[in-house]
Amino acid sequence: MAGPGNGTPLVMLLAGGQGERLYPLTKKRAKPAVPFGGLYRIIDFTLSNCLNSGMKRIYVLTQHKSLSLDRHIRAAWSILHPELGEFIQTVPPQLQLVSRWYAGTADAVFQNLDLLEEERPQYVLIVSGDHIYRMDYEPLLRFHTQQAADLTIACTEVACPEATRMGVVEVDGAARVLSFTEKPSAPAPLPQQPSRALVNMGVYVFNTETLVRTVIADAKQDTEHDFGRNVIPTMVRSQRRVFAFDIVSHSPATRHYWQDVGTLDSYFDAHMELLLPQPAFDLFDPSWPIRTHAGQYPPALMRNAGEREARAVNSIVSPGCIVTGGTVVRSVLSPHVSVGAGATVEESILMPGVRVGEGTHIRRAIVDENVLIPAAVKIGCNHDDDRRRFVVTPGGVVIVPEGTLMT
Amino acid sequence: MARILIVDDDDNQRLLYRELFEEEGYEVVDASDGRQALVCIERDPPDAVILDINMPGMDGLQTLARIHDLNRRLPVILHSAYAAYQDQFVSWIADAYVTKSSDPEALTQAVRAVLAKKPAEG
Repeated sequence: MAGPGNGTPLVMLLAGGQGERLYPLTKKRAKPAVPFGGLYRIIDFTLSNCLNSGMKRIYVLTQHKSLSLDRHIRAAWSILHPELGEFIQTVPPQLQLVSRWYAGTADAVFQNLDLLEEERPQYVLIVSGDHIYRMDYEPLLRFHTQQAADLTIACTEVACPEATRMGVVEVDGAARVLSFTEKPSAPAPLPQQPSRALVNMGVYVFNTETLVRTVIADAKQDTEHDFGRNVIPTMVRSQRRVFAFDIVSHSPATRHYWQDVGTLDSYFDAHMELLLPQPAFDLFDPSWPIRTHAGQYPPALMRNAGEREARAVNSIVSPGCIVTGGTVVRSVLSPHVSVGAGATVEESILMPGVRVGEGTHIRRAIVDENVLIPAAVKIGCNHDDDRRRFVVTPGGVVIVPEGTLMT
Repeated sequence: MARILIVDDDDNQRLLYRELFEEEGYEVVDASDGRQALVCIERDPPDAVILDINMPGMDGLQTLARIHDLNRRLPVILHSAYAAYQDQFVSWIADAYVTKSSDPEALTQAVRAVLAKKPAEG
C-alpha cells in the first residue's frame, strides 16, 4: 500500500556501517548506537531531525552488531502511529534479492527495492546515523523540487584543509554540482570564499525513479557500491541534474549544525563543543527537541564527603549520577555514573554505569559502559603509562573500552 | 556464435523461439522454469537470457534477481504477455523488457542490442 502523502519522502536511514574508526566504542555496537552527549545515541540526532522536519516514514537499514541499536530504537522510538502510515522500522538485510551482505551504501538501497516498491514515494531522503547534526529537511526538499533536480546533496562549509578528508562538492553559481570528489588533496573552493569548501553531509534527496535506476546500474558494475564514491560521481559525469543544498547559506547559524563523529578524536571534540559557553548545537532549544530513551533513573546527586566538596562545572551530569566529594570539570557524565571522594574527572566522557574510585584522576579520556575504575589510579596523566594499557588517539584521548578490568 | 537461453513454461513458446533464434544463427538452449534456468546458467553461462515472468514456482522476477546474484553481467530480457510488470522496480534489473506479440521482431532486436552492449568478460 502506498503511504499517505507521497510528496512526503520516504526516509532510508543507513545504519549498517562497521564504524571501524570508532573502535573500540564499536566493538559490540553499531556506530549509530554509540552513546553521545550523556543521554543520547548518535542515531537519535538523525531521527530527531526527521521527526522535527515532519518525516515520519523511516526505514533504518541495519547490518553489523545491530542488537543494541535495535533495542534502543524499540525503547526510544516506538512513538509513531502505523495506522496513520507512520513508522520507524529497523530492517536487517533480508537477503531477498541477493545472497550477500550490504557491500556499500548504494547496495543497501538496491537490496531493499521491495521497500520502495511497497511505499512508492515520489522522493527518497537518504540519511545516515553517523553524524551529529541539526538540520530541517523541509527546505532541502523544497529546494530539490524547485530545481527539478534528480538528486540534491545536502552540504556544509568547512575550511579547505579539513575538506581533504571529506567528499568535496564543486558547484556553479546556480548550485549545480560540477564535480564531486572524495577526499581530494586540493579541494575545490567555494566560488565566493576561496578558503572554504562545500562538503557532503551524507544527506541526499533522490527522485525515486532516479534512485532505483542508478542503484541498479551501479549494482551491475564492479564498484564499491557507495553513493559518495561511485553513484554520485557517475551521475555528475553523466550530466544528471545534481544540485547542492548549502545549509550554511540556507539557514541561520543557530538553526544548523553538523559534526562528523567518524573518528575517536572528532567524537571527543564534538562532546567538548557541547560544553562551550555558547555551544553551536544547543541541546536545550525547545524548538528542536532531541528525543531518546532515557531510562528510569533517580535525579543526579551531588554530595560532599566530609570536608571534600562535590563539584561539577561546565559539565553534563545525567540522571542517576552520584558525585560524592569528587570534582568533575568539562566532562560528560552519562546516566548512572558515580565519582568517588577526592576523585577528579577532567575533559572526559564517562559512559553509562562507569564508577570512578576515590582519589582517582581521569584526564582527556573516554570510558566505556560499566567500567569500574578503582581508587587512586591515574588515566590520561601520563601517555606512556596509558599506552601500555589503552588506545591513545592521535589527539591524546585515552580510550578505556567496555569490559576493562583494572586493579 | 552467441548462445541464448530461453526460459518459458510454455512448450510451444520455447519451440517457437528456438526455431526463430536458430534461424537467426544463434545457439539455443532452453529451460521450462526458473530453477532449471539457474542450473543451466551455473553449468554453462549463455550470452543472453530471454526470461518469461509468469511461471509456476520461481517466477521470472525472482529468477531475474537470482541471475543477477549469480552473474551480474549476464544480459537478461524479460519477455511477458503482460506490460504491467515493467512498473515493478525489480524488473528494471533486466536489460530490456519486451511484451509478447505475434511479431517477434522486437525480441530479436532486443537480443541484438543487449549482445552489442555486453561488456567484455573480466
